[in-house]
Amino acid sequence: MDRRNFLKCLGGAGAAALASGPMLRALAEPSAGEGEFFVFIHASGGWDVTVGLDPRFEAKGLIDPATTRNLDTAALTRWKDGGAIEVGEQSFAPVQPAGSKLVFGPAIGDLADKYDRLTVFNGLAVNTVSHGDGTVFAATGRHLAGGRVPASSIDAIMANEFGVGQILPSVSVRFPSSFVGQHLDRRAMPLLVDGIGSMGRALARTNMNLGVDDRSAVTAMLSQEAQDLAKVSNDPSAMQGFALQLQALTKMTGGPVQTLFDSAKLQAAQPTFNYRAQYMGPVATNFAFAVEAMKANLVRSVAFAAGGFDTHNSSYVDQGQKQQELFDMIARLIEVLDATPHPTKTGRRLGEHTHIMVVSEFCRTPQINQTMGRDHYPNGSALVVSPKFKSNMAYGSSDPEQLLPRASGKFYDGERAATPADLLATFVGAFGVDPRKYMRDGEVIKEVLR
Amino acid sequence: MKRLTLAAMVMLAACAKDPDRDAAEEAKNNGVPSTPASDLPGHGSLAQDNTTKEGPRLLPAEVYIQAYLDIFGGLSPLAAELASRGKEGSALFDTWRDYLASLGMPDYEKDISRVTQTNAMMLATFERVGIALCDRAAERELDTTPRPALATRTVFGFEPTAAAPTEAEFAERFDVMHRTFIGYPAKLAETPRTARFFELYKSVVAKHTEKGAPASGLTPANAGWAAVCYGLVRHPEFHTY
Repeated sequence: MDRRNFLKCLGGAGAAALASGPMLRALAEPSAGEGEFFVFIHASGGWDVTVGLDPRFEAKGLIDPATTRNLDTAALTRWKDGGAIEVGEQSFAPVQPAGSKLVFGPAIGDLADKYDRLTVFNGLAVNTVSHGDGTVFAATGRHLAGGRVPASSIDAIMANEFGVGQILPSVSVRFPSSFVGQHLDRRAMPLLVDGIGSMGRALARTNMNLGVDDRSAVTAMLSQEAQDLAKVSNDPSAMQGFALQLQALTKMTGGPVQTLFDSAKLQAAQPTFNYRAQYMGPVATNFAFAVEAMKANLVRSVAFAAGGFDTHNSSYVDQGQKQQELFDMIARLIEVLDATPHPTKTGRRLGEHTHIMVVSEFCRTPQINQTMGRDHYPNGSALVVSPKFKSNMAYGSSDPEQLLPRASGKFYDGERAATPADLLATFVGAFGVDPRKYMRDGEVIKEVLR
Repeated sequence: MKRLTLAAMVMLAACAKDPDRDAAEEAKNNGVPSTPASDLPGHGSLAQDNTTKEGPRLLPAEVYIQAYLDIFGGLSPLAAELASRGKEGSALFDTWRDYLASLGMPDYEKDISRVTQTNAMMLATFERVGIALCDRAAERELDTTPRPALATRTVFGFEPTAAAPTEAEFAERFDVMHRTFIGYPAKLAETPRTARFFELYKSVVAKHTEKGAPASGLTPANAGWAAVCYGLVRHPEFHTY
């Protein structure tokens, strides 16, 4: 036996020892994320936190609060005049339901009543006013490196940890998803699409000439080809990915998956979402998709964007209504999940095992600009709805006069404001995953976790 | 006891084969002796690049969409779309626009970046598009009487055998298709590709010949060739470089 074979045998013996030892048992133990589902929402454009999660209703320092003059208040169900700013111009009364420790702006809509399910992060140091940079920072915890996204996004991370066994580990509808790094399982690659309906068309099949058995035979052969090509490749990951994705394909094109991508059927199955909402109507289908896909246990993570918050000019008047429509849908989502049985955990509800995070790239300036809008501002708020997080709780704050992030706690590098990286690390850490496996930056904020 | 058995099995598996040695042995048997680069004239003083090379990368979507158009008749995108839809509407094909995102094309209007790695939905779209293109090509080039002139066929550039092809007959015809789609002779493939595709061909023909086989628009032999086309147009080497 030469040295090479000897080492191979040694490796084999080591593997055998591992297989029979505690390592395998540890791997076999159910993880903290098994049976959990994730919904990530990007409020794209940069939302105005002063009417939602971090309200400002007094003219103080730099703050020009939302008023009856600069905001369309008629559509806001929670708007109550709160005090005169100038003659004939009223600001709002903050929204704080009985029992709530959280204080909201008038755009919070029905979500205010779910205060006991919410964890609000205010005063996040986003350190950017660029859409691209802020979007990537919010989803990955890293700023853009030049034009390149340097890390995987949160949906890909959670899919990689807990979703590779699902038919659709991660579905991303215009969410800033990224898949970076050789160590991730290719099955966790987010399915990036611009709309749920378009996916259904790609999955349609006809038996006009060849049948499902014939197609399956082709797919199985190609999977074998990809595996064999991986063996002779210096870097086998691409071909291994092909092979794994081909195996997943057989499941996708049969069974209920295609129905899942039919907008009309989704709307019929989930009539509670407001598909006619003026601004967020199209986004409602994504909410319905998330529920149906989780109910059928086909996904692990659903991520999507809800746009329209980039209101630099007079379009700012609709900022409140846009937020309200989004928050109303999140409230509906919580209700639907609470009423829906978990697909694999007997006696449990989806609401007990679904974790929702809503982020935006930054917020808007505290001042109203000369065109009656608000520009980009380097502060942020985020929302988490998760049984793993302490609820009815706000973490962090922004300066009362400048709306800039204030130090929220002690981190390994000193006292400072939390960043999106800390939020993401905390989210990942809540499921027993070491954030360093995926993230360069960010610390787990233990005080917000149960 | 179970643990010991498992350990023994893993050790045996690890010791069983040496692919390097097998390759060297095979090369020796094929009469192609291995020669170190330094022994080649003029190579003694040349530095050798021993760094690990990158793995195969996904082609930009524009490239394989153009390849689809070229291979399946040299049509414009709109003409290819009309031909693929045929009289069956969207049974086989929808519109290119429906597939652009899942094929990996960027959409700057919607701020969706180019997809540089495959995902399951992309492979599903490869299948959807590949089926349409291959089915229509089989209908056009194989399933008509008389068949179009050989020189005008873009996918099935050979005459099918009257009876079931032997392995050699299949290999000769498969090679034509392999060169069209993958760009090199099938015998140079690093996998037992010809044999695999022959098995696929035979299994599809058998399925379509057996009693009670579902109705098909293609004859059993042509269905077999269509399946071969499915395999090539979706092959990992077709989409990577």
